[in-house]
Amino acid sequence: MHERNEPDADAALLARYAAGDPAAAALLAQRLGPRVYAQASRILGDATEAEDVTQDAMMRLWRVAPDWQTGQAKVTTWLYRVVANLCTDRLRKRPATSLDAIAEPADPAPSAAQHLQNVARADALQTALDTLPERQRMAVVLRHIEGLANPEIAAILDVGVEAVESLTARGKKALKGALAGQRDALGYDDE
Amino acid sequence: MHWGTTMSDVDKTISDDALEACFEQARVTQAPLPEAAMARILADAAAVQPRAPRMAWRAWVRALGGAPGIGGLITATCVGFWIGIAPPQMLPDVGGIVLGAEVSAFDLDADGFGWDLEEG
Repeated sequence: MHERNEPDADAALLARYAAGDPAAAALLAQRLGPRVYAQASRILGDATEAEDVTQDAMMRLWRVAPDWQTGQAKVTTWLYRVVANLCTDRLRKRPATSLDAIAEPADPAPSAAQHLQNVARADALQTALDTLPERQRMAVVLRHIEGLANPEIAAILDVGVEAVESLTARGKKALKGALAGQRDALGYDDE
Repeated sequence: MHWGTTMSDVDKTISDDALEACFEQARVTQAPLPEAAMARILADAAAVQPRAPRMAWRAWVRALGGAPGIGGLITATCVGFWIGIAPPQMLPDVGGIVLGAEVSAFDLDADGFGWDLEEG
């Protein structure tokens, strides 16, 4: 997700796919599949659902390929938006989950290696992300994990840039609060 | 120092640096897309991919300029064939030259096509 200077690369591959080039599908899937999966995983917090969303989003990309107008939008922006909508649909179909029902991350053993500590931090963050309202969660994931700029996030979420700033600010504040109770899992000497 | 905050406020949050460290960790520990999921994505792509256009006869016609182009090509071919078997008087008999004949179109006392010689 850190290839901002290649706005046309995905569109060019999509055009090749639409023209029948079999290699283009593999290249696009390798470039975009993991990004889509990462976004869906962070928003949904469920690997199986994230796989389904990834497959669904990529299928929509394949189907839109023949009608894709180069220059209308970045492929990644379009795809992020599809993923956001698919995730929203799934989140709204879920039964309401109380905060108490969200599993706490496992406590790391005192002798755990650094990579286990890192996994614990990632789990703690995911648990905290799961407590955020969906729009805040999407904005925070896109801004602070996927590394997108606010205008692109605004296009993905179909809101203004100011709304994105508000969503990310409130999301970060809520995350800091949710993570406060997990200092042991985080392993930081937070003063 | 935590201006305007009490100790209990500090306990209820973490610092910006700690949160940013969590984000950074999340960026580097993202689980990869499972191979089975990638295989399904590629199968979907193959199933709905448009076929590459083939150079069928219609494409050849288009490449030659469509119906007007084909008509012109046929006309030019017929005229060339006609000139080849019965060249006008102002042109040398290339066929005769190539075949080694001594007769020249300029020597013939015939009409435009020279067939009256055959007919006596």
